[in-house]
Amino acid sequence: MQMLADTRGRMRAELWASLVILAGVAILPTVMTNDYWRGVIVVSMYFAMLSIGWNLLAGYTGQFSLAPATFGMIGGYTTGLLAYHLNATGLSGIPAALIVAGMIGFILARIVMRLRGPYLALTTLSFAEIMRLVIGNSIDFTRGDLGLNVPSLFESRLIYYYAMLVVLALIQLGIYALLSSPAGLYLRAIRDDEVAAAGRGIMIVHWKTYAFTISAAISGLAGALYGHFAQLVSPEMGLISQSGLIISMVVIGGLGTLVGPIGGAFLVYVASELLREAGGYQLIIFALLVIVFARFFREGLWGLLSAGHERLMARRAAAPAE
Amino acid sequence: MLTLDLLINGLIIGVFYALMAIGLSLIFGILKVVNFAHGEFYMVGAYAYTLAALALNLSPWLALPLAFVVGMLVGLMVERTLMRPLYAGYGSWGLRRDEYAVIVTFALSILLINLVDKFIGPYGFRGPALVGIPRIYLGPVIVSGHRLFATIAATVVIIATLLIVRYSYWGRQIRAVAQNRLGASLAGIDPAKVSAIVFALAAGLAAMSGALLANIFNPTPDVGAFPAAKSYVIVVLGGMGSVPGAAMGSLVLGVLESFGGVYVSYQYRDAFGLVLLILVLLFRPQGLLGEKSREV
Repeated sequence: MQMLADTRGRMRAELWASLVILAGVAILPTVMTNDYWRGVIVVSMYFAMLSIGWNLLAGYTGQFSLAPATFGMIGGYTTGLLAYHLNATGLSGIPAALIVAGMIGFILARIVMRLRGPYLALTTLSFAEIMRLVIGNSIDFTRGDLGLNVPSLFESRLIYYYAMLVVLALIQLGIYALLSSPAGLYLRAIRDDEVAAAGRGIMIVHWKTYAFTISAAISGLAGALYGHFAQLVSPEMGLISQSGLIISMVVIGGLGTLVGPIGGAFLVYVASELLREAGGYQLIIFALLVIVFARFFREGLWGLLSAGHERLMARRAAAPAE
Repeated sequence: MLTLDLLINGLIIGVFYALMAIGLSLIFGILKVVNFAHGEFYMVGAYAYTLAALALNLSPWLALPLAFVVGMLVGLMVERTLMRPLYAGYGSWGLRRDEYAVIVTFALSILLINLVDKFIGPYGFRGPALVGIPRIYLGPVIVSGHRLFATIAATVVIIATLLIVRYSYWGRQIRAVAQNRLGASLAGIDPAKVSAIVFALAAGLAAMSGALLANIFNPTPDVGAFPAAKSYVIVVLGGMGSVPGAAMGSLVLGVLESFGGVYVSYQYRDAFGLVLLILVLLFRPQGLLGEKSREV
């Protein structure tokens, strides 16, 4: 029980840290009036949602999908195609994107999650490549590599900014609620030891499918919001390097922590915008960082921060005894 | 005659898939992880071949073994720096094997793609042909001279690899470690050395595949993504870790794509692999030649 209480306390600290970041983002437009950089933060929030979805799956359930960006692309295309072919107006495309991405995720998970080991990573990687190809080749239906124009939802960038922020905060709170519920315990039990979890009567396939579906639905929602913001969706949204960017955000921020994906997404995306101007070495640097973090600091920057904090606390506690 | 033509072309593509998939399967057999940077070994080989031939004016027949050696060196470096933690007992660092392997090899793939993109450039070069004969008539079937000779070279390399794995001393060591790591090390086999050999061999084979196809698919930084995606399908199809399964799966996929591209849909010929993958996962998860494993 003590361990459970510790986990709860840790998760609460992580949640607060992430809410502090989001509060910072909320007051940022008052000092940052540049429209371009506001746009950068909106795109970072898109990546933050995808990172949260992937972290639920990889960090908390131990299932490594290599297609987080693909579900974002599916979400973007769902709302885009609805507007293009059926003239769906306003916000109706966004819940549709959530449902379609969730359903595709559910079907894929039903097939793959019965197997253990590297099958999920393999299947999702082929799925990602092939979805991108199918969308790029179906020129009559999706306009192929040209990309599909998506109608704009709001007049001003600031409304998008706060709409994205509210959705991001709701997703984060939802993930916290999910992880504090028994379902969250089941997912972490599966991550830590599948055989033992099955031995305790947890339905592994059921809960893995559940996590995958939620993760896909969050990504679809993020993709739809992004599509309306950028007013363009293209197969490039599903590039493997996009998934790589998402994975690097989570690994650098802190895999399996609540704050890691959000902090990592803002850090990595803003850094990549800055580095793009300095010669475009961003992906080289992030890939190197990911290798170093995966090798030496499993919990990412957040893990480093909290380890430093603990050491400081220990030193302070030891000080009076001297 | 269309049928014969499609069959031959499918088998030719399958041979190149096999070069990739056999290495992937060997790595899985030894380390029980999937190498997601396998496409980049292919890319390294394609660039090594093309640049050696174009920039150093080397004969293509010399550039080919050079590409193999460059691939082997890259594979050795990767094994030494990134793969060793998988088995060298750093477990106390909170390392999760599968997680580590997926993240690190995936990041390595993005790293290599972007390094080449930055330092060599994003544009494709056309690799030189092995022989300058534009077409050769094999009875009713026409193939280009390069394709024919590249296929023959690839087939020779594949058969040599299969024989080495089956009969040589190193091959026996590889199979012993794949079957039981601890048992093999008790019998005096050094698993670290075997892993290094396997990684070098697998990377060399993938590089060879890239070099042989450099004349057909121009090397670009992300040229490896596609053959890699195919070889992931193939190792599942053939049975994870089974080398003959990988060879057979490659030919099956090549022929299937060749026929499907004409009789079903040319645009979606690359989607057949995924359909096949899903069918295999649903109905025969151990693959064509894989053995059903039981865990205790």
